[in-house]
Parts: sequence; C-alpha cells; structure tokens
Amino acid sequence: MQAATQPERAIFGKRFSAWLDRRIPPGRRITLSQSNIFIFPTRSGFTFGGLLAILILGAINYQNSLVYGVAFLLGSMFVVTILYTFRNLSGLSIELAEAHAGFVGEDIEFEVRVDRPKGRGREGIQIGWPEGFKQWVEIYETEADVVRLYVVADKRGWLRPGRLLVETYYPLGLLRAWTWVDISARGLVYPQPIFQDAPSNQASSQHRDDGVLIDPLGSDDFVDIREYVPGDPIKNILWRSYARSDEVVVKRYASYVEPRLIFDFDTLAGGTEEKLSRLTGLALQATRSEREFGLRLPNLEIPPGLGQVHLDNVLRALALYGIADR
Amino acid sequence: MASLTDKQGTGVAYQIPRNSLALLMVSQVVVILPLIVHISPWIVGVWAICGYWRTQVYRGRWGYAAGWVKTLMVIGSIVGIALSGYKSFSLEAATSLLVLAFSLKLVEMKNRRDAYLVIYLSYFLIATAFLFDQTIAVAAYELLAAVVVTAAMVGMNQLQTRVRPVASLWVAAGLIFQALPLTLVLFLLFPRVAPLWSIPLPSSVSTGISDRLTPGDVANLSQSDELAFRAVFDGEPPQQRDLYWRGLVYSEFAFGTWAIAEPLDPLPEQVDAPVGLSYEVFLEPTQSKWLFALDTPVSYAARLDLLADYRMVSPEPVLSVMRYRVTSDTGYLMDHELSPAMLARETQLWRDDNPRLREYARDLYARTGSVEGMIEAMHRRIREQDYSYTLSPPVLERVNSIDQFWFDTRRGFCTHYAGAMTYALRSVDIPARMVGGYQGGEFNPATGHLVVRQYDAHAWVEVWLPERGWTRYDPTAAVAPARIDRGLNAALSNEDRAALSFLASARMGEGGLVTGMLQFVDSLEHRWNLWVVGYDAAAQADVLKGMLGKVTPARIGIAMGIGGGASLLLVAAAILYRRRPQQRHPVERVFSGFCRAMARQGLPRQSGETPGAYVQRLAGRAQLDAEGLRTRLQALLYDPEATADRAARRQIRRELRKLRFMLAFRTAGNAS
Repeated sequence: MQAATQPERAIFGKRFSAWLDRRIPPGRRITLSQSNIFIFPTRSGFTFGGLLAILILGAINYQNSLVYGVAFLLGSMFVVTILYTFRNLSGLSIELAEAHAGFVGEDIEFEVRVDRPKGRGREGIQIGWPEGFKQWVEIYETEADVVRLYVVADKRGWLRPGRLLVETYYPLGLLRAWTWVDISARGLVYPQPIFQDAPSNQASSQHRDDGVLIDPLGSDDFVDIREYVPGDPIKNILWRSYARSDEVVVKRYASYVEPRLIFDFDTLAGGTEEKLSRLTGLALQATRSEREFGLRLPNLEIPPGLGQVHLDNVLRALALYGIADR
Repeated sequence: MASLTDKQGTGVAYQIPRNSLALLMVSQVVVILPLIVHISPWIVGVWAICGYWRTQVYRGRWGYAAGWVKTLMVIGSIVGIALSGYKSFSLEAATSLLVLAFSLKLVEMKNRRDAYLVIYLSYFLIATAFLFDQTIAVAAYELLAAVVVTAAMVGMNQLQTRVRPVASLWVAAGLIFQALPLTLVLFLLFPRVAPLWSIPLPSSVSTGISDRLTPGDVANLSQSDELAFRAVFDGEPPQQRDLYWRGLVYSEFAFGTWAIAEPLDPLPEQVDAPVGLSYEVFLEPTQSKWLFALDTPVSYAARLDLLADYRMVSPEPVLSVMRYRVTSDTGYLMDHELSPAMLARETQLWRDDNPRLREYARDLYARTGSVEGMIEAMHRRIREQDYSYTLSPPVLERVNSIDQFWFDTRRGFCTHYAGAMTYALRSVDIPARMVGGYQGGEFNPATGHLVVRQYDAHAWVEVWLPERGWTRYDPTAAVAPARIDRGLNAALSNEDRAALSFLASARMGEGGLVTGMLQFVDSLEHRWNLWVVGYDAAAQADVLKGMLGKVTPARIGIAMGIGGGASLLLVAAAILYRRRPQQRHPVERVFSGFCRAMARQGLPRQSGETPGAYVQRLAGRAQLDAEGLRTRLQALLYDPEATADRAARRQIRRELRKLRFMLAFRTAGNAS
C-alpha cells in the first residue's frame, strides 16, 4: 500500500490519510460506489435548513396547512436530493489515461478518464487535485470523458499528486457528494534545464574521438575515388577518367561531423541538482542542434544517440537519478 | 476542506450560469405575480426596473449598481413603504418589504451566494402567497412556481457552457414529483402545534357580514356568490327553513345603524353530555373572529368561546379556512333568567327617534297584551298590507329611518324587517335583538355537504320570553316565505334576478349544465378543504387515532419512520434501479441455474469444461443417456433455430432437473 504523499498530509493529517487508504484503497481504476462516496450538506444546504425552520414556524403561527405543505415539500426534496447526488457519482470509473512528462516549474498534464455505466448521463461533476484547478466533467451523450488536469511540478522525479477529488453539487447545490480516489497517478518531472552559452565547451571537447567521424553520404569534402556502383549519383562520375579508359569511376565526398558528445555528470561543477539541470540543458541543446550525445551518470551510462526516444531515455535517467523508480 | 468546497463561489470571474439566470428571472415573475394584488403598485414598478437593469447587465450593456445608487434605492424603498400607508406590522407591509428586498437584490446579484439568496426568497414568497389564498388553483400554480424556482437551482449546478433551461425544468419537475410521497407522509404525521406567538395579520377588510348594519343606506344589496362556508352534518341534515346560522348579535341601535355592543365575557362552561345535531364547519377566511353555528351550540372545541349572547368566536381572526366541530341542541333554552345588566343592554334605545313606530308599538302592545300577540300582529300587518321584499330598496334618512320604512316605503330586505321588529319590541321594554348570519344554503349532491354563500346572508330577531328564553322570530318569513323555505332565488322579483351576475344565478340553479359543473368544482374544493387546508391538529388527531389506535409520540415516530422509509425506497428504486444490459440467452439462463445448483451439490463444472462435456459427465454418473443429452443441450445453446423451439426448451429444462434430482439422490445415498 502506498503511503500518502506530501500535499495530502498537509490537507488531511496523517490519521485521516491512513483511514482513507484503508477505506478507499489506491488502484489503477476506481469505481465509485456507496463504500467510497461521502455526502454532506453544503453551506447552502444548511441555509436551506434554516429556511425550512422559518417556514415551519410561519406555518405554526399562521396555522396554515399549505405553508406546512411548502416546508414539507422542500424538506422532502432535500432528502430526495441525497439519492440524486449519490447517483450522479455512483458507478463512475476513474482511471489515469496518460501522464505527460514535464520539467520542474511547468504544469504536468494528467489525462484522467471517467467512464459511466450505461443508463443515465452524468453532469455537474468536478474533478481535480487539491493544488490544481478543478475541471468540469459531463458525460451525457457519450459514455466516457477525458479531462486534462494540470499540476505544477516543484521538484524532479515522480510527481504524485495524490488523491484526486471527485465531487458534485448536482442537482441543487444543497449537498456535496465527494470522494478522494487514489488512481496511482504519477507523472515524470525532468530537472529544470540550465542552458549554457557554449554547448560544446570543455565538457565535450575532452571526449572528442581520435579519428574523424565521417558521414559517408555527406557532400562537403572530396575523399577519394572508387569504382562506379549502380546507384551512385551521375554527377559524381569522373567523366574525364571515363574518357581516358573504360573504367567508370566516381568521386566520393564526405561530411565531417562534430565528434560524438558524452555528457558526464562528474565533470560538471555544482551540486547534484545543479549538475542534473545542466545535463538536462545540454541534452536539450544537443538534440535541438541534432548532434548525437551520450550520458554518463555515476550509476549508469547511456550510449550516444539522437532522437526523441533517446532524449526521453536521457531525461528520464536524469529525472530519476538517485530516486527509486517505483 | 472547507476552503476547497468554497472555491466554486468565490472565483473572480464567477458568472451565474446563463441558463440559471434566465430561470431566476422567470421564477421571480412567477412568484411575484400572485402577490401583486396585495402590494403597492409602485413596488411592482421598482421590480420591473430592477429586472430590466439585470437584463442589461447580463447583456453587458450596463454595469452593476454602484454603492451609492444601492444606498439611495434602499433608503427610497424604506421611505416608500413608510408612505404607503400600511398598518405597521401588517402582513401586507411585510410582504411588500420582502418583494422589495427581492427586487433590489436582483441588481446586485453577482455570485453564487446571491443567486441562492434570491432562490430562497422565491420559496419564501411561494409560502407567503398561501397566507392570502389557499384554494386548489393557487396551490397548483405555486407547485408549478416551485418547479421553476427549483429549476433555477438545478441550473446553478449544471455545466456552465450549455444553455438548456428545459432540461433543468425537467430535472426539477422530476425532483418535486419524487418528493411528493415523502411530503404526504410528513403532512399526515408531522405534529401540528398551537401558535407560538402573535403575528402580523392581513389587513384586508373583512368580507361577508359586517359588524355594523345600516339598512337605510343600502340602495342595492349586492349579491355576491362568494363562498361563506361549507358544513358537513354527521347525520340527517335539518330542513332548509331551520338552517339559521347564527353569527353576530346586534344589540345597539343609533342613527339608523345596528351594531354589536361591547364585548361580553364567555359563558363559563359547556354542557357535559351534549345531545343534538353534530356538524363540522369549514369557514372561509373572514379576517374577523366570529364563527357561525346553528342554535344553540352546546359542544365545541375548547379553544373556541361562546359569549354571553350565545355567539361563537374564535380567539384569533380567521385568516385561512377554519375548521371546527359543533354540536347544537335546538331544544336548548338560552338565558332562563335575564340579569339586570343584560336586560338593560337588550332593551336599550339610545335616542328617542322613530316616534311613529314607538307610538304604534305602545298601542299594539296595549291592544294585544302579550309579546307573542304583538309579534303576530306585526307579522299579520306585513303579510296583509303592501310590504314587499326587494334587494333594491329606497334610500332612507339617517334619523327616523325605521318610521320611514315601516309606514312609508314598505320595501326592504331582511335587515329592514328585523330592524323594525326589534325596535318596536325594545320601545315597549321587551328584550329583543337583531341577529345576523346566514339562512339556508344548498346541498351539493356530489359530496352531500351544505354550501353557504354570501347571498345566503340573513338577519332575524331574537326576543326574550319568560320560560322560553331567547326565541327566534323571522319577519322576513312573513313578507317572503319562499326566501326561508327555498332560498333567495325563490324570493327574488324579476328585476332583482336580472341584476344578479351570471355566476350567482348559475349557482342558484338557473344554469343547467353550468350549475352541475359548478357543483363539481365545489365538491372538489370541499374535499381540498377537508383533507388539505383544514387538516389541523384536531383533524390530525382523528386520522392518527384511526391509523395507529393510540396516539403516542413513539407510535408517531414509528409511523413516520415506516412511511418515510417506504416513500424513499420507492424513489430510490425508481432512480437507482438499472435495467440489465441485455436479455440473456434463455437456455443459457437455464443452464447456468443448473450449474449453480450442481455446484451446491458438490459437482461443480470444471474450468475449461464445455457445457456439453459437463452434462455428459454428469449424465454418465447418473446412468442416463449421456450422449443424447449432450447433443440436445448443445443444439439448444448454439443453434438459433433449435433455441426458438419452446417445447424443446421445456424438455431440456425437465431433463436437467431430472438429472439434478437423480444426482442429489445419489450423493445423499452415498453419504449415508
């Protein structure tokens, strides 16, 4: 069982949090039912109760049956509302559809999927984490809705926003039905990047390979000539040589590429977090300038590569450096 | 957590949902409409201005009212109320203030809490309307109003971007409909309590009979067909001619006006074992304290009083339909002895006016020698001379009006005749008084109750006679006997009848189909009064006694629990029940039932075992035709044509049952 995360403790207190964990255990997909929906009157609901009291007093003093009737009708409506507000949440299934990674300081986007069982549509449901904005959910014609929730990332690693508040004031706003579900939501937070002026400073120059890396398909510099192989560009054929002999020879060109970069944790200055931030910045810059790079952390090494997948791997390693990946 | 729940209402950009705002405006109109007649017209004007303002705010053309404008409006309104000439603390003043506050709130209704305040005020105004009127029509209207107000509240909690007031209305209507069973339970069982403190009253003028009568001033007695009261007799109702509903006693006469004398103390006690006619009266609101009963009330609710002149009064003005039970004893003798104070009171004539009538009375009393003889002589004079009964008598002078009527004009209605006789008797020191109330009424064939209307109002004379006490005489019977025997219509001249409104004449039985319809409506209204409006503490005690046997708080509590629980279960079943997604395959249902039963018998289906293989295995155990059963079951399960064959389905069900029993027998046999 997963312990409550920091923000929840602040809100609920340890004991209540533990009770919640027993009452509504965390899960990937949580279906709401009578065992995990709470209902309590709102402030408007209590005021409504006051209105009923005044009406009954009036009915008593005026001995007016119909004023009694109004009070009873409103009171009964209040009671029936309990069923309505319960039904509005009951049966909904909530799960995390997708968590998008982001950097420290950004809003991490979580896509939460809410499914309803067949039957009546649901409306007026709000969903959100305590520290984020609440979103309206309405599943009327469709059977599922995906809401995007944003939580500010304050440090790298896994962002666990904790228990998700699902609440509704429907239909009258006199009662609030709510629940706190833990859908095991977590989003990856990369270190906040620190960009340096010169991406290829001493950190990378030291790791320049001895040989020059050649891109054989480049077109910058002439390298040598070789026999024509079908498929070679016609403009590369050395026509003068062909005129001298029957041999068809082509010129070969190549591009010189900067040597592969290896970003090394140990060679950077600063504290651990600063180093990670710098590495993040380097990785982003290298990717932007389409240069292959590798990463060397004290506990793991990622061979040089390029592309989104490679970058994701690198950023993930940076985000989780020193953090148990669970 | 509280800080979280309130996030909704405090957002800077909070806008009341458009859908809800529209419904709020509509519900204001709907709720204020029935109150318009009770409040000053200028308040309606203020309300219209505020409504327009809010619409403009909504359209983004105007802003909300500035602080000083609001202050100005509030001060103006208070001054306006003060100048409107309401009696302080009257119900009208309170209602006006409420409507005014309601209107002003409109221009500063910004956030969620404001909207809720307006909604709650709307509910409050719905209840207020019932203080003025409690008819079925008003109740039906206010129920619809409640739906609109509730819809506004629903709209507050729906998604903000969609505009669909109709959907909100439907939700609200459903809610209210589903609240009705519980409402009914509460209405029946919730204990009714006596008033806790005195309250502002509607200051509208009392309707019906007045406590001051000036017959000479009336040139044209308007005949209202408004309802006075309904009465339900326990047994056989009396004859129409005996239905004298006594209400007011006029013991004072001056300047042509008969009036009620100073208040009297109530009679000390009721008769212990009353005999007589029992009935229940449903009195329409009169805004006065007097009640109507037949002669002479001997048993009545303890909260009512019978004053020394035998008129019954309620402790507080009758503001809504009042229901009371009375037993009247026609043989009861009112005032065996007359105290000197009462004698002085009932023979008093404040001025020496009407000299001709005094002279005539002295002469008549001397001639006949007895009170009865004198009355009979007056009756004879009315019958034999050219006296006539009319609703449009000539106007008389203030002084000596009775002389003028009795000797000159000789045309008048009940008060003229009763007044003349009372005056004549008093002038020779015989205790006499004029009594006002209603005479007759008509029975509604649908429910059998008596309906008494304002045009049944009547006045007659009571004379105190030794040994007989206060005795009723009705001089109108002498001039228009049909009035007493068959009601007003029979006594009317053609010109009087032509002056009646269509409804009044229809009610008197001149309209055929219309009369029938009116009687139907009347019986509906009567049932409404019987079961809803007049359902008070006494009626509740009766119902509870019939339902629970003995009325104790515990029993009421249990009844409330059961009734409330049942009605809620009903609603819960209606709204939480979900139909099964799909009808299952009929044979599959039979087969899965069989599987469950076999599992209980200790022979569950193995995992991965097909239905056919399972049945074959079991049938083999039971030494039945295993192969055949397998084939038949598989056909029924997987071949749609075979499934459609009802006879085959019955057959397989029988076979499976047989297999089950055989195996049950077998396993039981093995165990023993």
